[in-house]
Formats: sequence, C-alpha cells, structure tokens
Amino acid sequence: MVQKRKLKDWSRQVILNGNQYEAITKVLSELATKTKASAILFADMSGQLISQRGNTEDMNTTVLSALAASDFAATSEMAKLVGEEAKFKLLFHEGEKRNVYLSNVGDNFFLVVVFDVSVTLGLIRIYTKKAIEDLLQALKETADESESKEKMIDSDFSSLLGDALDDAFK
Amino acid sequence: MFINWALQEINLKIVYYGPGMSGKTTNLEYIHSKLDPSLKGELVSLKTKEDRTIFFDFMQIEVGRIKGKKPKFNLYTVPGQVYYASSRKVILNGVDGIVFVADSQPHRMEANIETLLDLEENLKQEGHSLENFPWVVQYNKRDLPGVEPVEALQRRLNFFNVPYFEAVAVRGDGVFDTLKAVINLVVRRVQDQL
Repeated sequence: MVQKRKLKDWSRQVILNGNQYEAITKVLSELATKTKASAILFADMSGQLISQRGNTEDMNTTVLSALAASDFAATSEMAKLVGEEAKFKLLFHEGEKRNVYLSNVGDNFFLVVVFDVSVTLGLIRIYTKKAIEDLLQALKETADESESKEKMIDSDFSSLLGDALDDAFK
Repeated sequence: MFINWALQEINLKIVYYGPGMSGKTTNLEYIHSKLDPSLKGELVSLKTKEDRTIFFDFMQIEVGRIKGKKPKFNLYTVPGQVYYASSRKVILNGVDGIVFVADSQPHRMEANIETLLDLEENLKQEGHSLENFPWVVQYNKRDLPGVEPVEALQRRLNFFNVPYFEAVAVRGDGVFDTLKAVINLVVRRVQDQL
C-alpha cells in the first residue's frame, strides 16, 4: 500500500517507494507509446508532480501540475454546487492544436494527458482507462519496510536546511 | 506532503493566507525577484484584469540537495476577497504550513479576524486546526501611518502564540524571515512525524 496517513493534526502524507515509482513511470511510458500523447503527467491532488513522460522539455510541468490540481479542485466544488454528489471523474480541454485530458486516479492522484488534435479522443479514453487501473495497482504494492524505516529527516538536516535557506535568502 | 523515495524528494506545500490586499502576492513577488534563478521556478499568477488574484499564485523553490535529500517548497497564495471563498478552500488541499498575512491598518482588523476564522473553518475540513498546525503570522504594511500597535494585533489575531513578524512586503522587510520561520516549523513537524 502507498503509505497514506491522516495523522491527528497533521497533513495528509503521501510516500512512494522506489518500486512504486518505477511501476508508475512504466505505466506512463506505455501510455505515451500507445497514445502518441505529447506529454503525460502523474501528480497528487495537492498539485505535486510525481512522474512525467513524453516531450515535456519545453513544458513547465511543475506549474502544469499545480494548475491541473486546482482545475480538479475547482470542478469538484462545481459538482457540489450543481448537485452532483460524486466528483467529476474527468476533465477535457479542447484546443485548436492540442487537447488536454485529465482523469482522477483514486481520490488522491490524477493523470494529465496532452495530445495533438489528430489523435482521437476515443483512443485516449481507452488507454487512459487501462493505465488508471495499472496505476491504482502500482499504488497498492507493499511498501519496502527498510525504506520507510530510514530516518528521512533528522535534526542535522533541519540545521543544514536552515543554512541553505540563509544562503538562498541573502 | 509528498515524498518520493526513488528520487529522494520531499515536496512541501506552503500557503499564504489573509484578507484581500494584505500583501500575499507581494510576498511571493519579492521572493521571486530576489532568489537566484537556479533555485526558483516560474511565478504563475492567476489574476483578474484589475490585478487581483482570482485563483492563486504559485512558485516552487529549491535549495539543492541536503544530506542527499532534495526538499522542494511549493508556495501558493489564496485570493483574499470574500467572494472567492471556495477558491481559498481548494488551495488548502494537502497544505503543510501557512503564513497568515495580516494587514496592520486599523480599518482592516475586522477583515483580518474574519479571514482567520475562515482559515480555521477550512482547515477543519482538511482535518486540522490552527491550534496544532504549523503556521506563522506576518503583520504587513508596518510603514503606513497610523497602523495598529503590534501588541493590539497580537492580542486580536495571535491567540495561539505562533511566531510573528513585522513586515513591509513591498520593500522585502520581514519577507524572508517569515518564509524561513514557516519552513522551519513545517520541517520540524515532518521530523517528528517520520
């Protein structure tokens, strides 16, 4: 299982291990090959980019993830206002050259597929649906215990980070 | 918070919250203007044509690797105006730390209080409470004539006694101190939790 804890007085934590990350990236690569999508992003609902595939060099994918997450959040509020009890599952933005297909992956993640208008929406839908199933499977994989036990942040880290921030903020 | 073990990345989300025109966007603009390009991403602002934030501002900052780990801070602002309440709520999704930017002018005191209550209400829906959440207060616009004394602001707004900073965000006074303090609180909390 992806470690997802809702601790008392603390934010939702999402922790992915190496195997999960690899599995996720593999799913994205397959989806990119099959759909010939320009770019594919997998991100968490708070807007943090997890993995990406395709021609993303000229694309600011960090910002794209943040905007896409807000897009999702805004439409789920819209859903409530119009009396839709569940969240909208997918969003589609149609352009003249490019389209964007956004789909949620469980409650906490989403997938962004950017593709040329020459690619049919039906094709994107079919392969994205399969990819979502595979991603949900990858997220379920058991976390490697040794990794989660490693101390990610210690007091040394905090003081070094403090120094790095002082340098950055000079 | 999002941790990617494969890439040794720690992503943290910090949200600047406060009433309309208190200087949330100005804080981010100052940070963006001063940081070395290698440490920052693009500053994206979703504004109305009157230059008011309609949805949010966003930028990511990095400070390189620390003990092999790569911390990334995602900074967001919320729109302060009352009628963008739903936008404020959605930006808080997955938040790790908050900077409350208060306007020091006496006629904005009620707006400060109202926004703080709105923040508490929205945090509750995320399962948090200001009482136990990493947050700091920034008293902005200290250069304006006739501002409230800090003691008065403290009494009315800082009821959980969190770290506070006086600021003139347009000049950058107090901006980095505020950011550093909230990062410090967030990281300390992560350290306790992991």
